[in-house]
Amino acid sequence: MRALRCLVRKEFKQLRRDTALLRVVFALPIFQLLVLSYALNNDLRNVRVATLDEDRTALSRAVLDAFPASDVFVPGPAARDGDELESLLRAGACDLAVRVPAGFERDALAGRAPSLGIDVDGTNSSLAGRGAGYAGAIVMREAARFAAAHAGAGVPAPRVETVVRFLYNPELESRLFMVPGVIVMLVTIISALATGMAVVREKELGTLDQVLVTPLTPLQYVVGKTLPFGLIALADLALATAFARLWFHVPLLGSPWVLLLGVLEYMLVTLGLGLMASAASNTQQQAMFTIWFFLVFAIMLSGFFFPVDNMPEWARGLTRINPMRYFMDIVRGVLLRGAGLADLRGELLTLLAMGAAAFGAAVLAFRREAGRG
Amino acid sequence: MNRILAMAGKEFLHIRRDRRSLAVALLMPLTMVLLYGAVIDMELRDLRVGVLDLDGGDRSRELLRAMTSSGFIVEAERLDGREAIEAGFRQGRLQAALVVPRGYGEDLARGGARVQVLVDGADASTAATVANYLQAVVALVDRDLLREAGLAAPFDARTRVWFNPELVSARFVVPGLVALVLMMICALLTSIAITREKEAGTLEQILTTPVTPAQVIVGKVLPYVALGALDCSMVLLAGKWVFGVPMAGSWWLLAAYCLLFIVIALSLGLLISARSPSLRVAMMAALMVTMLPTMILSGFVFPIASMPGPLQVVCRLLPATHFLVVLRGIMLKGQAWFPLQTAALVVMAAVLLTLAIRSFRLRLE
Repeated sequence: MRALRCLVRKEFKQLRRDTALLRVVFALPIFQLLVLSYALNNDLRNVRVATLDEDRTALSRAVLDAFPASDVFVPGPAARDGDELESLLRAGACDLAVRVPAGFERDALAGRAPSLGIDVDGTNSSLAGRGAGYAGAIVMREAARFAAAHAGAGVPAPRVETVVRFLYNPELESRLFMVPGVIVMLVTIISALATGMAVVREKELGTLDQVLVTPLTPLQYVVGKTLPFGLIALADLALATAFARLWFHVPLLGSPWVLLLGVLEYMLVTLGLGLMASAASNTQQQAMFTIWFFLVFAIMLSGFFFPVDNMPEWARGLTRINPMRYFMDIVRGVLLRGAGLADLRGELLTLLAMGAAAFGAAVLAFRREAGRG
Repeated sequence: MNRILAMAGKEFLHIRRDRRSLAVALLMPLTMVLLYGAVIDMELRDLRVGVLDLDGGDRSRELLRAMTSSGFIVEAERLDGREAIEAGFRQGRLQAALVVPRGYGEDLARGGARVQVLVDGADASTAATVANYLQAVVALVDRDLLREAGLAAPFDARTRVWFNPELVSARFVVPGLVALVLMMICALLTSIAITREKEAGTLEQILTTPVTPAQVIVGKVLPYVALGALDCSMVLLAGKWVFGVPMAGSWWLLAAYCLLFIVIALSLGLLISARSPSLRVAMMAALMVTMLPTMILSGFVFPIASMPGPLQVVCRLLPATHFLVVLRGIMLKGQAWFPLQTAALVVMAAVLLTLAIRSFRLRLE
């Protein structure tokens, strides 16, 4: 126990002297929260609509005006003919082009059900799909309005309406969704990357061999080495959660204790994996590359930005072995939905099992390392 | 020339010996294409919707049948009370719930009925789309009711998607990965390689030999240019074979712009290595200055138009932003003329290269 205390004290001393690292460790959270939370969103906004009105009637104007009236579309250039509309689309001067053919109103009144053309730039597949859906809904609504205005004074047709309510995030601000994700990323980067690099650095400098000839056991070494970084990650979590609350108004609906339990379990995983990567690397560059390689895929398959529900079956299978996915569910659940222990039972148990496995494997890896030295 | 080749040969040996880094440099781009191509799919499927039918009449059953047969919704869970909705959200079992109120059938007979759609807004990335799908289902029922009453829709829209008719996300992502890979290899790896040599003190040893500083630099970066080109081709070919990413324009034009972008990336790498006191700082800086902005702010996946104004200005200052417009234009639209982007890229390349050479010369003296 005394040996462990000495090691921890040494680690803290080293950390305190490394002002460059400390600055990164405490400035990074704020920087990431600010940039990522504002930049990472997939909101359908400012979609530029080019128009071509070949009909020039009250109806064509009403339909075309309905686009910029929504909060999704903004008016783009107006074309004089079909060729110009096409070149606007090709040059990227608009994202969507609406074309009302000549005789549109006349045909609509005569019951010939004319079609107006919506051309979408499919380059950005996700925006294009949703933009087209939104545009179609606008046309449908205008059609219903026109039908109602021109229907005779007969019996009113039965209609169904939908009332939509969004729980937990009524304005659907993507920031409320992204900020908890950024917090997860932060905890991961600090705990996995910083630990991994720290151990390899000792290896590079040759001080690891010196430590290994002391009476420290591999378990003590691993615990002593990870404890300071674990504490830093916890401090970062507190800092980021407070900042998220004050700046972005992200709530903390659930219990902070559940969050703490989740983060402790999760850090067993990340610290263990960081240590394993460093045990398997000889230089800092290798360690960084290895950890980074896994980090990129863990982030992609965590539901941080790309919804797990939309992934193909094989990718969804991969997310089930991704600890970050479970932690992401826990953080979002606790912060945004007020989920409690009972709700997150499955996630917490899975993380606990993964944490025990990863940390145990790290201790074993260091025992081997020590045996070799 | 011989000296440059000798330097390049030496650097090549370094690369080959560090098996792990080489494996990451080669595998990362390939895995990224496969995963990104498959994962970035905002098209929803298998919506998990709970149903709370408080009416239980023929009309409401009709509505629910229309919902389950729409194909969007795979799992419809029967709920027995309002509390079950929130519990379902908290446990992540449900994405939305449809509530058919009591008296729905009678209201419909009287002219107008309402159904309620509750969506888990905590998942803001999908909530709007989920709501749209459910609204669309109800709108279809609404349309059928109108038709029953003899009121057909007076007009409709015919939608046509250009450049990517099946909305394959890989077509959008692969050009972005080209930029990312070039940044990773040419800026990140180069800056690390040069800083490492500086830290180890071997750079000074080399400079005492008859090799000029310019030869050292050119020789050192050449293998990385080759590696970058190799990775790029891998990404493009994987995109073509696996996801059918088209090549509408000219390969030569694409290669020319890639070369221009490589000059920019290398200049950035040189600049970072000249300014960094240690390897660790260089790695951090390279990640922060090259990789992260290219991933996040270039329009690679995240639409620039949805970002707040000041951030959009930052986006326009990034070389990758303009490079991506050019790549997508060439590959997907078959464009060949990019006056604005070309001017921006050339100016950036000139400025960065001048800065890099100047600060490097300063360091060496």
